[in-house]
Amino acid sequence: MSRSRSSAFLLAVPLGLTALLAACAVEEPTSSDPQSSSSSGSGSIKGTGEVVVACTPQEEQCQAMAAAFTKASGIKTSFVRMSSGEGVARLDAAKSKPEFDVLYGGPSDGHVAAFNAGLIEAYSSPNAAKIPDKYKDKDGKWTGTYVGVLGFCSNKDQLTKAGVEAPKSWADLLDPKLKKQVAIAHPSTSGTSYTAVWTEMVLNGMDEAKTFDYLGKLHQNVLQYSKSGSAPGQMAGRGEVAVGVIFSHDCVKYQKEGFDMLETTFPSEGTGYEIGAVSVVKGGPNAENAKKFIDWTLTPDHQNIGPTVGSFQIPTNPDAKITDDMVKLDEIKLVEYDSIAAGEKKKALTAKFDAEVAPAPKE
Amino acid sequence: MTDTLLPAAAAPVGASTPSPRPRRRSGRDLTLVTLVTVVSLLLFVIVGLPLIRILTVALSAEGWEIVSSMLTNPVNRRILWNTVQLGVLVAVLGTAVGFVMAYAQVRLKFRGKKLLHLIALMPIVSPPFAVATAAITMFGRNGIISNKLLGLDIDIYGLKGLVFVLTLSFFPVSYMNLKGMLESLDPSLDEAASNLGASKLKIFTSVTLPMLVPGIAGSFLLLFVESIADLANPLVLGGDYTVLASRAYLAVTGEYNVAGGAAYSLVLLVPALSVFLVQRYWVSRKNVVSVTGKPAGSPELITAPALRIPILGLALVVAGLVVLMYATVIFGGFVKIFGVNNDFTLSHYRFVLAGIGSDAMFTTTLLALVATPIAGLLGMLIAWLVVSKLKRTSGLMDFVGMLGLSVPGTVIGIGYAIAFNTPTILGGRQWFPAVAGGSAILGGAMAIVMVFVARSLPSGQRAGIAALQQINPAIDEASTSLGANSFTTFRKVTLPLIRPALLSGLTYAFARSMTTLSPIVFITTPQTKIMTSQILAEVDAGRFGNAFAYCAILIVIVLSFIGLLNLAMLHPSIRGIQRR
Repeated sequence: MSRSRSSAFLLAVPLGLTALLAACAVEEPTSSDPQSSSSSGSGSIKGTGEVVVACTPQEEQCQAMAAAFTKASGIKTSFVRMSSGEGVARLDAAKSKPEFDVLYGGPSDGHVAAFNAGLIEAYSSPNAAKIPDKYKDKDGKWTGTYVGVLGFCSNKDQLTKAGVEAPKSWADLLDPKLKKQVAIAHPSTSGTSYTAVWTEMVLNGMDEAKTFDYLGKLHQNVLQYSKSGSAPGQMAGRGEVAVGVIFSHDCVKYQKEGFDMLETTFPSEGTGYEIGAVSVVKGGPNAENAKKFIDWTLTPDHQNIGPTVGSFQIPTNPDAKITDDMVKLDEIKLVEYDSIAAGEKKKALTAKFDAEVAPAPKE
Repeated sequence: MTDTLLPAAAAPVGASTPSPRPRRRSGRDLTLVTLVTVVSLLLFVIVGLPLIRILTVALSAEGWEIVSSMLTNPVNRRILWNTVQLGVLVAVLGTAVGFVMAYAQVRLKFRGKKLLHLIALMPIVSPPFAVATAAITMFGRNGIISNKLLGLDIDIYGLKGLVFVLTLSFFPVSYMNLKGMLESLDPSLDEAASNLGASKLKIFTSVTLPMLVPGIAGSFLLLFVESIADLANPLVLGGDYTVLASRAYLAVTGEYNVAGGAAYSLVLLVPALSVFLVQRYWVSRKNVVSVTGKPAGSPELITAPALRIPILGLALVVAGLVVLMYATVIFGGFVKIFGVNNDFTLSHYRFVLAGIGSDAMFTTTLLALVATPIAGLLGMLIAWLVVSKLKRTSGLMDFVGMLGLSVPGTVIGIGYAIAFNTPTILGGRQWFPAVAGGSAILGGAMAIVMVFVARSLPSGQRAGIAALQQINPAIDEASTSLGANSFTTFRKVTLPLIRPALLSGLTYAFARSMTTLSPIVFITTPQTKIMTSQILAEVDAGRFGNAFAYCAILIVIVLSFIGLLNLAMLHPSIRGIQRR
């Protein structure tokens, strides 16, 4: 008797616990209640149930966004923060049974790549009418909700130590004095970094060989490729490197957070920009709510949240507030950025970068 | 949604009710067969299936292209070499450091043993990137100690930094293994040698060391596979030192190239598994029996300064570094930007505790608590089957049990995503519904528990095997000839004998579950957030303050568990169950 009881015990305890505790785990609410900003109960977005967002901007922005949408719509909003390349990969991994409803943020090229891979579906939000044509796809594959401009985020102290001025051009980044003093993310995982790669393509007249020649030279000065696009700004802030190549709004955010020695500069040859987009995941579990969410992201209600959490991307809705901390687009030379072409070449270029540039030895 | 799972799993709940399993008519063979079947099935589901699925993908045309180019392409060859170099360096250094700490703890006479023990356990209770971020803050290019204090320009990014951080992160594995073994060595052997006129040094090299060979080899194996599979540290401070794990991770997360990731991991499997096989072959010939069941005295502690001073000195340096790292983590959580702006702030803790952090904290702890007893007991059970029961198949079971650890976490994670994101269908029948991913039952929590178990049972298994190999088989045989069946023997004879190993298995299982990252990043879901992946997000984004706060909280949780477990293990009621 004791024999059978003991074996039952051994089996029952873990199995029972699994069932019981795992059941508890799912019942526990995915709460998100921090600072929520203004909201206007525009009736159309009200709904029930939930919406699950793959969120690529900074964590604070994702939290504030989720809380605000939950408050405005009554739809429970949960998110996972991922870099945009990672987010698309994640959608691909769960293609047969999607877990996300919305891909939120990240350069539109990533959305184009995801659309071409059959991971997102077109949705033309009625609210997209407000958004200028240059900030949305005409077929509704993606719609822009913010704009960010690529810049150099430099640590003044480290620049002085290295004996250089803040870089004013892409060529400046190749200065041998900046050896292992530059940080940029990996273009495979980071939309930011891919924007930089595509910018080089544009500046080199779409000549792949020339572009990779530049990237190979830059590699000699790069300390480390981070996973997420904004990390190099933090590395510069801590003085681990002198220059981080990031979206300038992230540099402004870090300055506000206490990295006083950071300064933002822009390349004279011209710089790339992202149209931070939203799109609907194909076959997501909450299709209706996904559309409501997208409608909402195009309103000033959503686009005014950024500055409250230190995110100073430029809103795409002309009615949303522009603050002094945002980049003045007319003061900077921008390259002609064709996100459809960029999206189509993304896989090939990042694979090439991954094979030829990133693992290459440094002299 | 939970209905689909609960009836099946809830049936055996309630340990006090009679077993719902069919009665076994007779004989230990049937008990044994049942045990082996159950264990094998569990292992198949938690490691076999995901691996088969990912291997299928890796060996598909697309994956094979990468695998074959691996050997011809000089860049890939360098990545492979980097990986092996890192693994060997960390394994050697980590085992050495672990041995020094364990030897000091068990054999030397000094004050403050408990404290040294706690310090040596610290790294095990926190995610490895806590050490990495602290190391960057302290010893980085603009580090507080290296640069601001000493004016040095150390480049911590790359091999040097990785070896330093990984050694400091992983030596407790070897410390725990070797400490358990040192404690179970029969001191009468030392006394005998001493009576025969051997010096302390002679005793150490010709008695103690040979007996520790299985433990040392086990530590080496664990450290090697852990360090080559480690993902967090190469991501944080790899610099241009690319290793296979980070390469595979990039392929998957960045290029959504599952086949590529699987292919790189396949290459990562080669060194991992060959070390495992070498270790097995080598250790099996160096077996030493020392627990005989006969009464033994307690060891005489060493006071001779020739041994004490160098060993204690080394132990203190290591302990000092560990304390420094964790002091950084704790202090760093309360200042704005450690080393840049040292104003006091609670904002990091607010960030972590006010929203997602508290959610992740609760979920992670809960799931780890579920996984720990399963992993601990399963590990011991496998160890016992491997050492004492199975004959021809023991190697296979040992091998499969270890896969959860010897296979890089990245592979396990992707394997889970491929295998369990959809319902499992075999032979036209659905065996169980989707368990991984946001759309799965229980919000994907079940897959996470399974990963926790798969990842953490090998350490218990290794500790169990190392301990059991020192136990004279005559003890088992005595139990059998007195009429006990296999299971009773395991529960009443074996388990109590390897209690230190079980304790280390449980401790490690919980700590491991709480701190595992690489498989988890692929299967966390919006509903089930796991602390480590939240920490990685913070570290990667460079918000070290938030990461420090997360780490400190995680350390507190794991330490509390270990404290409670140690108390419980001392409690008479638990001893009673096992000793009765």
